[in-house]
Amino acid sequence: MNHMRQMIILKDISLITCIVQKGVADDIVKAAMEVGAQGATIYYARGMGVRERLGIVGVAVDVEKEVLNIVVANEQVDLVFEKMFLAGKLDTPGMGFMYVTPLLKAATYIPQEILEKISENCGE
Amino acid sequence: MAKEVKFFRLVQETAFRHIQVSYNSIVKHIDRREKIKLESIDIYRLLYPYISNKFREQLIAVIPLVIYLALFQIIFLRQTIENALTITFGIIAVIVGLMFFMEGLLKGLMPFGELLGNKLPQKSRLPTLMLITFLLGVGVTYAEPAIGALKTAGSIVDVRKATYLFLMLNQYGDILPVAVGIGVGIAAVIGTLRFLKGWSLKSLIYITLVPTIGLTLITVFNEQLKSTIGLAWDCGAVTTGPVTVPLVLALGIGIASSGGKGESSLSGFGIVTLASLFPIIAVLAFANIIYYTSPIDINNISELLKTGGNTETSLIDKTPYAEILLGIRATVPLILFLLIVLKFILKEKLRNPIYITYGIVLLIIGMIIFNIGLSYGLSNLGNQSGGLVPAAFAKLESVEKSPLYSYSLGIVIALLFAFCLGFGATLAEPALNSLGYTVENLTNGVFKKSMLMYSVSFGVGIGIMLGILKITFDIPLHYLLLPFYLIGLILTVLSTEEYVNVAWDSAGVTTGPVTVPLVLAMGLGFGNSLSVTEGFGILSLASICPIISVLSMGLLIKFIVSRRHISENISKKTPEKGVA
Repeated sequence: MNHMRQMIILKDISLITCIVQKGVADDIVKAAMEVGAQGATIYYARGMGVRERLGIVGVAVDVEKEVLNIVVANEQVDLVFEKMFLAGKLDTPGMGFMYVTPLLKAATYIPQEILEKISENCGE
Repeated sequence: MAKEVKFFRLVQETAFRHIQVSYNSIVKHIDRREKIKLESIDIYRLLYPYISNKFREQLIAVIPLVIYLALFQIIFLRQTIENALTITFGIIAVIVGLMFFMEGLLKGLMPFGELLGNKLPQKSRLPTLMLITFLLGVGVTYAEPAIGALKTAGSIVDVRKATYLFLMLNQYGDILPVAVGIGVGIAAVIGTLRFLKGWSLKSLIYITLVPTIGLTLITVFNEQLKSTIGLAWDCGAVTTGPVTVPLVLALGIGIASSGGKGESSLSGFGIVTLASLFPIIAVLAFANIIYYTSPIDINNISELLKTGGNTETSLIDKTPYAEILLGIRATVPLILFLLIVLKFILKEKLRNPIYITYGIVLLIIGMIIFNIGLSYGLSNLGNQSGGLVPAAFAKLESVEKSPLYSYSLGIVIALLFAFCLGFGATLAEPALNSLGYTVENLTNGVFKKSMLMYSVSFGVGIGIMLGILKITFDIPLHYLLLPFYLIGLILTVLSTEEYVNVAWDSAGVTTGPVTVPLVLAMGLGFGNSLSVTEGFGILSLASICPIISVLSMGLLIKFIVSRRHISENISKKTPEKGVA
């Protein structure tokens, strides 16, 4: 029936970026997904700054980092942000850093049945 | 309305204090030179994952092998493990020692290697560079953890059966690593020159094999030196471990890239191959030199050695002291050498000296603990299970009701045991995994990572199996090695440069610091209980077999790919895409 290709543009979304030591990202993604995040992109990077100020304990901080990108709905952002903070133990020096960026728009595949549900709600 | 409730629930659930602060005000109060004050909970949170991850890494590498050996002994040989408590402590020491050592290597030695590789070529001329490369080759061999296994192995060899072998491992036990080191040093120099000049590895292999096989043949015809062949060929496998490979490579690649010709995708390969061939020449030459310069009357010396050996052992060879001495002797010369080069030739300062000091301390402590674990855990266990396996097919005094199985079944069990040991241990080796990635990239995905891993592991399994066969029937090692190297040579002639690089390196990469001592001790125990002359040679067979299996796999892949291209060309009549 529907031969026209369509793009659904998502509004009201934010990007959470979280920089942690190599190997920690998977736990944080798991925590974020438990409270509603849909997925995550992880890439590798190198960082510096706090490690040098930790003295000898700094050896425990890996120079290689993982950077997580998680896109969430604006309603979820505070909850996911908090859970990620706790899962990553970011209240410990040297463990990492995270921030939220507002996004203008996003687009991806949206399942048909979800679109139908949305339009039903709007119809009411 | 709905939104408000949701936010309330959110706040309630997390019950977590939020304080908003302007970053502007924070920046004003931060002094970058000030140390951050850590509370004990912070230190715990920082250190716990750091330590537990490193520990788990080594645990995974060691435990499966140990469990395999123990279960085999209990289930198939129906023997309890003697000194189980000592061995358990030994194994724990191996794990902890390796954990310290590897972390020390990463934090303490690798920064040196990188600095040397980057800065040295700019500051000194080629002859100086080559001298430093050579000395580094000698130093890293000394610091290789598996080299300690040779000393332990020396105590298992019987003086009367293999006098010169015993001499080399005990009387000349301190010089043997030097001989091996000289071999590695020469290999490092030639390997680096190869990077610079772009020599092909194929021709280097041909040239190197001539003296290697020549010296082997000379030694074969000497009745008294015959027993040293196994040791010499095994030394090749011992040398290429976690210290030698990265450090020598870092320097070699640094020199090559400053020389201009280091951009080939193959740079990095070849040194491992040479570093496992040259020590063979060095050790064989060493054996011949001992023989011709100080000939020994066998009948007298065996008595002399016994008395001489006993008085020596009582003094410094007490457990912790011997290992501490060994550990310091293995690592300190290398570190001093690196420091001297850094200070007087490079005139550079190290960044982060605290971390480097920390790494070096860990390296030395790790080496000491590993050495203790080596003699009490790995060698003990390997020797024990190696000594008991023959009970499957032969009559042993120590084992009741042996032989446990009929002769042919028993031999099959022993061979299967050996194959699985080699196959499993190799597959678990982390170095093989990274080699697999490199190869997959190098061949544009034609040679799959898993394919390489399985063919190398299969090769090692077959090699260890043949080694057991060699000891069981007391086959002279050269009967096996020479034909295999001949096959290897023929395959090398047929293969392309890339596959030759990968295949010859794969053998050296796979023999890590856990496998080497375990297999070495197993072979010696196995040989002793069958009372053959010596139990060396397993490692050397485990080196050549993967070369053959990887080369044949490469040829097979080439054949399949070319057939596919031909059929595609005929059917489509389109020019094939350029595959680099």
